[in-house]
Amino acid sequence: MTTLNQARPTADARNDTGMLERLVLQHQVEQFLYEEAALLDARKYRQWLGLLADDIHYWMPIRRTVTNQDLDMEFTKPGAMAYFDDDRTVLEMRVRKLEAGSAWSEDPPSRSRHFVSNVRMLDVVGDEITVEVCFHVRRTRLNSELSEWFGRREDTLRREGDGFRLARRHIFLDQTVILTSNMSTLF
Amino acid sequence: MADGTQVPRAWDRHEILSLFDPASGVLDRRVHSDEALYRLELERIFARGWNFMCHGSQIREPGDYFVTYIGEDQVIAVRDEEGAVNVLLNTCRHRGNALCRAEQGRAKSFVCSYHGWNYGLDGRLIGAPGLSTYYHGDLDRSRLGLVKARVEEYLGFYFATLSPDAPSLHDYLGEVGRIGLGMMCAYGEVECVDGVQKNIIDCNWKIAVDNLFDWYHVTYSHASADSAGFFDISEILHPKNQMVMLGEYGHAIGGPATPQEIQDQIDALSDEQREAMSRAQPRNSPRVRPSSATDLMGPVGVRSHGHPNIFPNLWITMSGLQMCLRLPRGPSRTELWWFTFVPKDAHAELKRKMIWQANHVFGPAGLLEQDDGENWSQSTRAAGGLASRGLGARIGMGLGHGAVEEGPRGERYVEGLVSEHGQRWLYRAWTEWMAARDWAELEANHAPPPSGAV
Ligand code: FES
Ligand SMILES: [Fe+2]
Repeated sequence: MTTLNQARPTADARNDTGMLERLVLQHQVEQFLYEEAALLDARKYRQWLGLLADDIHYWMPIRRTVTNQDLDMEFTKPGAMAYFDDDRTVLEMRVRKLEAGSAWSEDPPSRSRHFVSNVRMLDVVGDEITVEVCFHVRRTRLNSELSEWFGRREDTLRREGDGFRLARRHIFLDQTVILTSNMSTLF
Repeated sequence: MADGTQVPRAWDRHEILSLFDPASGVLDRRVHSDEALYRLELERIFARGWNFMCHGSQIREPGDYFVTYIGEDQVIAVRDEEGAVNVLLNTCRHRGNALCRAEQGRAKSFVCSYHGWNYGLDGRLIGAPGLSTYYHGDLDRSRLGLVKARVEEYLGFYFATLSPDAPSLHDYLGEVGRIGLGMMCAYGEVECVDGVQKNIIDCNWKIAVDNLFDWYHVTYSHASADSAGFFDISEILHPKNQMVMLGEYGHAIGGPATPQEIQDQIDALSDEQREAMSRAQPRNSPRVRPSSATDLMGPVGVRSHGHPNIFPNLWITMSGLQMCLRLPRGPSRTELWWFTFVPKDAHAELKRKMIWQANHVFGPAGLLEQDDGENWSQSTRAAGGLASRGLGARIGMGLGHGAVEEGPRGERYVEGLVSEHGQRWLYRAWTEWMAARDWAELEANHAPPPSGAV
């Protein structure tokens, strides 16, 4: 395992091959995340599915406004209620639904923009890289609806061949009450 | 006005009663858009009726609290040191600041963040900074506790009302309301799963409520969830085996029901045999209820796998052990809160399955629910148009084709095809609630559940 501190810049970073590897990896990870976001924005859901690992866990717990002393209950825990708690089967179902020709919540389709930033590699274990990112999804629907969701994501990318597959996406919204009529959008 | 209410009276009794015509099934769409009607609803429906607060398992320990609403009044449901549940208006008796700004939590007392008045879990004003100095001992603490709503519970579900004249919760619910809550507990005592999904839809709250009786929309609105393989509409809908139960004060249950001859067969089975039967059924079929459910729901109610609504705004989902509150936020905004329950004694695997189902069917990302919101918001939006709202909304399906039967517990119900009997009953009750100036008038002037042809 490469720890992050080993890869932090040093005085002679230019001669540090670990650092170079690190930069390349950072670049590859970011490019993967941008490509993936672009597929969602382009409504290429089937191709997006192709980027997911078979054992993916795609989860968005419920966040709540709590006092500082109750921060242990700010998010619901795994196994309790959530907005998304999906495996690959459910995500495939969501995509089949979008393709069904009768998914009225997305017909006319929404226009979405997935912004991904502050990409930080938290952990590299074997083939798996765990990344924390900030996300901001903005969506417009019909003529006057503007929705947005933002927060923090923990993604696990697994190396496969030349690229990656997404093995885990845990989405921690900054919002508590969802301010839109639905979440027919993928994150 | 002579009746002493504070709401500007743009609507008189006769106008209100004419907003829905039970004889034609046409609803005046101003009920979905008019600001003055909305303000009158807050007074005559939400402040007058019993409102669902939370389940006892959400606030188990003294000091556990859950913040919710009676209409647009925010309230704190909190368990006190004696174990009683109090519902307190979340507004400080000094200058009105909110005591609780969290959605839920644990508290020893409620201290106002403005000037520091401190209230007990029972709402008593315990202290205030400067009582003997700045206030010169003038403050009568005994008169300045947080305002307490009346609180009663049925099967662990806590309700509150701001009306001193409301009947008991038991009488308010009546047979149909109690069957509805009984449906939640048909497989045994329940506990609430952590996490209430909340989202806002730009629709009138009644459009969200009447939709729960609407089994007509399921096939078309939710076609994509069927195509995607999430559920099989035919296993759920049973369009020819529908039953609508009509209860006092506007409570109703509408949707599929087990035919009597099949229920007779079920009644002959032991609980073990019923479980085996459930396991052999298609995936989406409701689990066969145990014999104890008949005690709770009665011989007619136990056949229902429809959707109860506890008037005004508490939807109980068909055997799904979920409840959805439709909280009013203005004439064209509604906040939806999903509560999920599992039987306390169910084994872990069954609980896991039930929670999985709940997480994927309803809520804003639910495979079914996703497609509801825009139908409601666009119907609401159109009700704001001058020419559009003049057209009226049609809820006349099945009008004149229903025959009300009476069950052994006095249950009134109609069996047959998919219909809009439930919606008509809801809006008829709504006009009666809205026309009555107080509980006495409502008691005197509301239609009892009908008999004969409907
Ligand atoms: S408003 Fe609460 S203490 Fe002043
Ligand atoms: Fe629906």
